Amino acid sequence: MGTNRMTFFSIMATAAVFMAGVLCSPVTMAAKDPVVVGYIGSFDSDTGKSTIRGAEIAIEELNAAGGVLGGRQIKLVKADTREDVTEGIKAYEYLAETEKVDFIISGSIDDVSLSWLPRMAEYKIPTLDTWTSYVGIIDMVVNEYDKYKMYFMNVACDYALATLYVDFGKDILADKMGWKTTVVLQEDTAFGGGVFELVDQMLAPEAGIEIIDHIVYDTNTVDFSPIFSKAAESKPDFIYLISSVRSQVPSSQYVKLQVPVPMTGINVAAFGKDFWNDTGQMGGGTSTLSPIPSVGFAMDDRTKAFVEKYEAKYGNSRPIFPHFNGFNAYYGMYNAFNAAERAGGFAPLDAWVTEMENEDLKIYKDGKLWLRYGFWKPGEIEPRTNREYTHNIKFDITQPLDDGAPSMVVIQWYEDGSTAVVYPEKYATGEFGVPSWIK
Amino acid sequence: MFSLPLFLSTGTLRIFVMANFLAIFAMSWDALSGRTGYISFGHPFLIGIAGYTTAMLTYHLGVPLYLSIPAAVVVTMIGGTLFFLPALRIRGTYFALVTLAFMEIMYHLTQVIAPKVTGGTRGLSGLPEMVSGAIPNYYLTCSVMLLIGIGLWLLIRTGLGTALSAIGVDEEAVKSSGLNTNRIKLFIFTISAMIAGIGGALYVHYLGSIAPRALFDINFLFSILVAALVGGAGTIVGPIMGAYFLTFLLEYLRPYIPGAGRFVLYGVITLVVYYFAPKGLYSIFSSLRQRLSGKAGTG
Amino acid sequence: MAQVIIQGFLLSGLYALIAVGFTMIFSVGRVLNLAYGVYIMLGGYVYYVAVQILSLPKFPSFLLAGLAGIVFGVLTYLVLVKRFEKDPIAVEISTLILAVVMQAVIVLIFSTAPRSMWPLIPGRFEVFGVSILKNILFATAVSWVVLGSLMVFIHKTHIGRAIRAVSMDAKGAAVSGIDPQRINLVTWALSGVLGAIAGVFFATYTQLDPGMWVFPLITAVAVVIVGGIGSIIGSLIAAHIIGFMEVATTTWISADLRGVFTMALIIVVLVVAPKGLLGKAEL
Repeated sequence: MGTNRMTFFSIMATAAVFMAGVLCSPVTMAAKDPVVVGYIGSFDSDTGKSTIRGAEIAIEELNAAGGVLGGRQIKLVKADTREDVTEGIKAYEYLAETEKVDFIISGSIDDVSLSWLPRMAEYKIPTLDTWTSYVGIIDMVVNEYDKYKMYFMNVACDYALATLYVDFGKDILADKMGWKTTVVLQEDTAFGGGVFELVDQMLAPEAGIEIIDHIVYDTNTVDFSPIFSKAAESKPDFIYLISSVRSQVPSSQYVKLQVPVPMTGINVAAFGKDFWNDTGQMGGGTSTLSPIPSVGFAMDDRTKAFVEKYEAKYGNSRPIFPHFNGFNAYYGMYNAFNAAERAGGFAPLDAWVTEMENEDLKIYKDGKLWLRYGFWKPGEIEPRTNREYTHNIKFDITQPLDDGAPSMVVIQWYEDGSTAVVYPEKYATGEFGVPSWIK
Repeated sequence: MFSLPLFLSTGTLRIFVMANFLAIFAMSWDALSGRTGYISFGHPFLIGIAGYTTAMLTYHLGVPLYLSIPAAVVVTMIGGTLFFLPALRIRGTYFALVTLAFMEIMYHLTQVIAPKVTGGTRGLSGLPEMVSGAIPNYYLTCSVMLLIGIGLWLLIRTGLGTALSAIGVDEEAVKSSGLNTNRIKLFIFTISAMIAGIGGALYVHYLGSIAPRALFDINFLFSILVAALVGGAGTIVGPIMGAYFLTFLLEYLRPYIPGAGRFVLYGVITLVVYYFAPKGLYSIFSSLRQRLSGKAGTG
Repeated sequence: MAQVIIQGFLLSGLYALIAVGFTMIFSVGRVLNLAYGVYIMLGGYVYYVAVQILSLPKFPSFLLAGLAGIVFGVLTYLVLVKRFEKDPIAVEISTLILAVVMQAVIVLIFSTAPRSMWPLIPGRFEVFGVSILKNILFATAVSWVVLGSLMVFIHKTHIGRAIRAVSMDAKGAAVSGIDPQRINLVTWALSGVLGAIAGVFFATYTQLDPGMWVFPLITAVAVVIVGGIGSIIGSLIAAHIIGFMEVATTTWISADLRGVFTMALIIVVLVVAPKGLLGKAEL
C-alpha cells in the first residue's frame, strides 16, 4: 500500500481506538496500562533513598509475579522535594496533575508532609507516609476523617515512640541502672518541643525519674561545651538528648569532650549504618530510640530476604542498609496493593480505604509475633494512652508487647562500631551500656 | 493569557500559579529596591508577617478570608514600616544586612514565642483556600498579578519613578533639589510592603499551610531577588519575566534530571544568564524589539 | 564563671578566624562576597576527602584545602567580580547564586548526609574544672597567629601597604602607581585561603554538611559590621564580643536565644553606629 493510505488507515485505526477508550467506563481501563505509583520525598538524602529503594524492590517483586489489578505492571515516578516545604507542594502537584498517579508513597520529612497534606485532601490520592511521625497529622485524620482518610502512616507516631521510651526509662534506666535524675537537652524544633512535653508528663510518674533541668539549644549551635557544662553542673544521673536536626554535632562533641555523664535519648543521626563512618568512628557509647526495623534488629526470614535483595542491588551506595522507612516502604506497598486488589483499584476511594484499614500483615519469628503491618481503625482506642491513632501503624505499647510490633526499640552503638537492640527484652540482642570513659 | 487554560494541562497551570506568586513578590521587591539602590534582604520578612497574620486569624479564630487577608496586608504595612523605618537611614549593602538580620530574627522568634499560636517550627497546616483547583487559582493569580503590575506602572509613570531612580543614583542631590527623600522612601516602602502583604496573604492560602522554613528562608529570598534581577530590575515587566523564567526552568528540568543535578543546572543556567545580561532578560527583549522596529522602520 | 570566660575565649578565637577572610574582601573591595561561606565549606570538604578518604597525612591535606581556597577565591574574582566591577549589587547577587550552586554541587557529590571529621588534634584536658578540646584551643591559637601575621603583613610589607591603600582610596592608589587589579587578585586569593583554613577548623568542630556555608557567612558579617570596616583589630574585638555573648547567653539565659542576640546586635550597630567600633570608612 502507498504511504498515504497507510497513514490514512493508521489515523483511522488510532481514532477508533481512541473513541473506544473514551467511550469506555473510566473504571475499566485497558489491561496494559501501567498502574502509576508516585514517590514524593527527597532524592538525595538517606531517608529519601531508603523509601525509594524499598518501594522499588516491592514493585520489582510484584511486577515479576505477573503484575497487579489484572496483570498490569507498576510504574514508579518520582518527584523531588529537596526537603523543602514549597518544593513539597510543587512535587505533589506534579505527581497529581502531570503524572496522574494512582497512589503516592512518601519519604517526606515531617514539615514537608504537613505542607502537601492539603493538596492530598484536595486531589484525594491514596498516600502512605513512611518516615513522618508527627502525631498532629494523625490527629487531623482522627478529627477530620472524611477529609484526610486517604492518608496512612506506617511508622509509629512520636507520641507512641515517646510513650514506650518511658518504659525503657523505667525498666533499664531506673530499675537496672538505678538512675533517678536527668537533664533534658532538647533541640529548638517542634519535634523537640513535642517530645519534651510527653517526656515531661510521663517520666516522673511512670519511671520515677525526675527532670532536674531542661536546656533548649539552637540547632545552629557550634560549641556544645557550655551546654554540656551546664548540664553536668546539676549532677544528673544521665542526660536525655532530643535531637533530630544536625544530631551528629552534639553526639560527636559529646564523645570528644568525654562528658562525664551518660547520655541517651533520641538521636536521629544514629538510626542508620552509615552513622559509624559519618562520625569518623566516634559514635560509640551513643544509644537512641529508633523506629523499627532498626540497625542491630534481629530479622525474620522475609525481612532478611528483603535486606539481601537491597544489599545486592544498592549495597555500594549509601545508605548501605535501609533505614526503617525503607522497610516501611516495602511492606507498605504490599499493604496498599493488597487493599487495591480487594477494592478493585485505588480509584474507588472509600473501598480502598476500608480495605487498607483491614490490612494486617503479621510477620512471625521463632513462633512469636515479630512485626505487624496493619493500621488502627477509626474509633479504635489504644488502651495505654487512651487515644485514637486512626491510620497509624498498629503498634503495641502495652506490656507484654505481644500484640503487634513495639512502636520503637532502643539501639546501642558500641565503641567498636557494632550495634545491638537493648530494649524491649523480647527484641534485645545486647546490653545497654555507658561509654568507657564514665566510671 | 486568559484563554490559556483551554490549551494547557492543569499541571502546567499550577506552574503558572507559582510563577505568578513569585512575580508578585519580585515586583514588590523591585518597587523598593529596583531603582533606589536600597537592597532589601528582608522581603521574606514582610511576606511572612502577612502570611502568619492571616494564617493565625483563620486557623485559630475562624476569621473569614475577606477579613483576614486585608487585615494581614494592613499589619504588614504597619509592622514593616515600624521595623524598617530606622533602617532607611542606612544605604546599600548595610540596608541589606539589617533587613537580613530582621528575617533571621523572625525565623527564630516564630519558633520560640508562643509556638502553640504560630505553630512553632512545624507551622500550621490545613488553612482555608480562597478558591480551589488549578484553573480558578490560575485566573485569580493572573488577575492579581496584572492588577499589581498595571498599578505599579501607572504609579511609576508619575514623577515618582524618576524620583526613585534619581535617589538610586545620588540621594544627596535629590535632597538638595528640595524633595523630601524620606517621604518618598516611606511612600514607596509602604507600597512595596502592601504588595508583599497581598502576595503573602494569598500565597499562604493557596499553599494551605505555613511554616517558618517556607517563608523566612534564604532560598526563598534567593528566588525573589534573582527573579527580579535576572528579569530586569527597575522595570515592571522585568520581575515578571524573571519569575516566569526561573519557575518554568526549574519545573521543566524536573522529568529530565533527578535530584541535586537539576538544581545545579538551574543555578548554573541562572548564573550564566545573569552573567551575560546583568540588566536582565527584559533588557534583552527591549533591545531586540528596538532593533527589529529599527529595521522595520528602514525597510 | 571560669567556664564562660574560657569557653567564650575559645569560641571567639574560632569566630575571629572565620571572619578575618571576609574582612579582607569587605574592607578592600567594599562588596559583600556572599560566596565566602563556600570557601569555608570547600576547605572542610577538601580536607575531609584528603584525610579520611584518601588517607593523606594532615599537613599536606591542610595545604590542599588552602590551595582549594586560593583557587576558588581567585576564580570568583576573575569570573564574577571583575565582570561586575562597577556594580556591587550584581556582585552580591552573582556570588549568592554561586553559593547556592555550590551547595547543590556538594549535595550531588556527597549527598545531604552530614559527616563528622576527626579533630586536628584529638583529646581534651581540664583547666579550672572546665573541659577544653585541644582542637578548639589549636584553632584559637592559629587564629591569633594568623591575625597577628596579617597585621604585620598589612602594615609592614609592600603588598600589604598597597592593599591598605586600595582599601582607603582605590583611585588614589592607582594614581600612585599601584595596580588595583593585582591587589584585588591578591586580596581575593588571601580571602580564599583564610576561609579554607577557617573551614577546616570549623568543620572539625561542628560537622560537614552542604548547608554549612550559611552560618559562618552570617557570623563573619556580624563580626565585620560590629568591628567596623577596614579594621582587623576591630574584627578581633567584635569576634570576642559576639563569642562571649553567645556563651554567656547559652549559660546564663537560654541556649535557644543564642543567635537572636547576635542578630539584634547587628541591627543596633547598623542603626546607631554604622561605622562599627573601629571602622575607618563611611558607608
